[in-house]
Amino acid sequence: MDRDGEAEDKGFEQFERFLEDWSRRDFLRRMGGAAAWTAFSGGVLEFLDACAGGTTTTSVTAKKGGHVVEGAFSDVRTFNSMLSSDTASNQLIGLMFDGLLNSKKNGDLVGALAQDLPKTSADGLTYTFKLRPNLKWSDGQPLTADDVIFTYQLAYDPKYAEVASPRRGDLSKYIASATAPDPQTVVITTTQVFAPFLVSHGQYGILPKHVLGSLSAKDINTAPFNSAPTVSNGAFKFVSWQSGQQVTLARNDNYWAGPALLDQYIYKVLPDSTTVANQLKTGEIDIGPVDPSQYDSVKASGNTNIIEFPVAIFDFYAYNLDPTKLGGKLFGQKEVRQALVYALDRQSWVQAIYFGHASVATSVEPPTSWAFKAKPQVVYTFDKTKANSLLDAAGWAKGSDGIRANKDGLKLQFEMHTNAGNKQRESLLQVMQQSWKDIGVDATPKLIQFPQLVTEIVSTRTFDLFLVGFSWGQDPDEAPLFHSRNAAPGGFNGADFKNADVDAALDGALATLDKTKRKQLYYQFQDIMSDQVPAPILMFNVGIWATSKRVQGADFGTYNQFGNRPWIQNVWVTDGK
Amino acid sequence: MLIKFVARRLLASVIVVLGVTAVTLTLMDRTRGAYVPGLDLNPALRPEDIARLRADLGLDQPFYQWYLTWLWNVLHGDFGRSMIDGSSVLTHILERLPNTLELTLTAVVIGILLSVPLGVIGALRRGSKTDHALTVFSVAGFAVPQFWLGLMLILVFSVTFEHYGWPWLPSGGVTSPFGGGDIGDRLLHLIMPATVLSFFYLSLWSRFTRSSMLEVLSQDYIRTARAKGMSERRVVYLHGLRNALIPLVTLVGLELPGLVSGGLIVEVVFSWPGLGRLAFERALQYDYTTVMGVVFFVTLLVVAGNLLADVLYAVLDPRIRYA
Repeated sequence: MDRDGEAEDKGFEQFERFLEDWSRRDFLRRMGGAAAWTAFSGGVLEFLDACAGGTTTTSVTAKKGGHVVEGAFSDVRTFNSMLSSDTASNQLIGLMFDGLLNSKKNGDLVGALAQDLPKTSADGLTYTFKLRPNLKWSDGQPLTADDVIFTYQLAYDPKYAEVASPRRGDLSKYIASATAPDPQTVVITTTQVFAPFLVSHGQYGILPKHVLGSLSAKDINTAPFNSAPTVSNGAFKFVSWQSGQQVTLARNDNYWAGPALLDQYIYKVLPDSTTVANQLKTGEIDIGPVDPSQYDSVKASGNTNIIEFPVAIFDFYAYNLDPTKLGGKLFGQKEVRQALVYALDRQSWVQAIYFGHASVATSVEPPTSWAFKAKPQVVYTFDKTKANSLLDAAGWAKGSDGIRANKDGLKLQFEMHTNAGNKQRESLLQVMQQSWKDIGVDATPKLIQFPQLVTEIVSTRTFDLFLVGFSWGQDPDEAPLFHSRNAAPGGFNGADFKNADVDAALDGALATLDKTKRKQLYYQFQDIMSDQVPAPILMFNVGIWATSKRVQGADFGTYNQFGNRPWIQNVWVTDGK
Repeated sequence: MLIKFVARRLLASVIVVLGVTAVTLTLMDRTRGAYVPGLDLNPALRPEDIARLRADLGLDQPFYQWYLTWLWNVLHGDFGRSMIDGSSVLTHILERLPNTLELTLTAVVIGILLSVPLGVIGALRRGSKTDHALTVFSVAGFAVPQFWLGLMLILVFSVTFEHYGWPWLPSGGVTSPFGGGDIGDRLLHLIMPATVLSFFYLSLWSRFTRSSMLEVLSQDYIRTARAKGMSERRVVYLHGLRNALIPLVTLVGLELPGLVSGGLIVEVVFSWPGLGRLAFERALQYDYTTVMGVVFFVTLLVVAGNLLADVLYAVLDPRIRYA
């Protein structure tokens, strides 16, 4: 979903990343590695650490120079901000190309190439941005409003229709016009009041018109610039890309926020989270994301500082509510849907499945959002008695085989689908199966390939219940999953959930820029969702990053993980190398 | 005649390459379903965007038509562009091929260089403690899974050694990301992955060489040579070993495909940017062009390897000249 612009991970592509994190091979390797690691050095390390005593490093003055190696487990695909849609590409683009705006770690917008947040017209349709004075590209050319207009045109202007931009759907829908009345001013007018516009579409890396402007639309798709940008406007500029290995960047002395303290930034491609953890331990990489299962071992090695924070990435399952399908007959009653959630002991999963690094979701909105309602209308605790009584009251009596059935003899028996190769989700299905067996519900897990799962969710809807991961962007809007218009094939409302009140709340909250009004509507929305539970959100994940002790100035947070790192020019290394 | 033999084998090779690529594409296409490669599941994409993407990639035509277009292009040297990121497939392959070959050739060379002497020692000292020790080593090497061995080596020689401040081996990649690239750096990075890859073959080939040597040394012509007064060293090495190597050549030749693709596990464990890892990652994403390009290359290597093995056969043993 383009709610979050290039900044954060988009919807399914984020759990695609989790798929890469948690393949079955990974798990085997991780278990083998973890077991051997503990056997090898658990006791010895603790002894050594105890002997070594505490370490304190106090380096107050930032040193200039040196390099940082960051490890990640996907390779970059493109450096063109209008063509990218994966995390890795967005991350590198964020280092080389600033947008009009950037985000702080709590999700607030700040000016980047634009001096400040734009002035909004009274009708909420026009945004006027003032660019900072004397902006330059890394080759010395001035960066003007023309570059900004050009960048956006690639995705919404019909003359660039052949540019394969994933942003075209949104931008052509919402942008009425984008003009530059003078070289320092950008005026964007939207077709309708759209609250998430700045957050979702105000952060794209600006591309150089003087390099790409002369190319035809089709040529832009295959331009050499996309794999080797010749100019950039961000903290770093491109040096080289060895596909499958690493991307090397060097400091851009023309950066508007001042030259970065580092000389070089290296992004190293590693196959999985175990390798990232190992290389964090040996110091081969300085920065890297840590998988919850690796947390303890990375911490024990003592080479890194680890930071942990909540993120808007979550696991959820959805009932198939289409009345013509089996799911519709089983889950049509709200009481049944609610009962199944009451039967889940989610608090125990935090340790058992997420190694202590997750939180139980109490609402469809993430705890990190300004629209979060901690206690919506219905709060689900683990309550087996209530689950049983709800099902009894709804007419599903336990049969002689222990499985509940309704008056027509239809058994509460169904299949649960998730993608194969994701150990976390496979474990979730198993505990769900067990919890539901305890209340007389017969659920069978079925693992299918990720592309097929997505086809099922989005097009064919041949499932009873599916479990998958997703992520929300900076804006609290949740229309992609819950608005009735997205229930049509092609949309992500796989549950086929259609509720007029929810539609009204979601639409209303998008159509106003008044934050107080929006919060009210989202509170209503969360109340309805907690009562109707068409697609219960189970757990919210935690972002974990490790930096080696020689790296200072990194400030990771909820919305400062991958693409948005407004502090990157302040990162320095204690040894200056 | 050797020429006719080689020509016939070449023709067979062409058929093999065509067959393998066709089957690969069929399998990928049949399992892909409605998924459009490179399509990052973005709720903002409209159905018309997805349809256009599908048409651009040539996926709205029957897959055998795609195959024929692809084949025609390949025969003209155009391997096309990746469906995932639009980069040139040939560039990708040529970038990665040297890495894979560096790894696999090193493993093969280590394997041969070590297994022949080990096998000969085992045969000559048959029944002794040395022989028993070598047998145990062989069985262990055969049974140990590559990913486990790789991870163990990383844990010991990278993580643990580094923790204690001892000189440690880098845990992955071809070179150091910063300030690396020289031959010493490359060798350091090559040690562990090449060891793991060769371990399996070492154990297999040393056993084989041993039994082959034993069989040859019991042949009549060896007795004749000894009876004629030839020195034991000439008997064993000139007459015995040369004949014992023939089955080993077959075995090595047969393993060549395994090395280019079986290197996959080692490539992933050691983050080695090779062909195997490229094909694996892209196959999961249904990137037809890249996978077909890699499969084509790998099949070429395989048939070349087999052809080489057969030619070596013919050279080593004058009795074998396929008429």
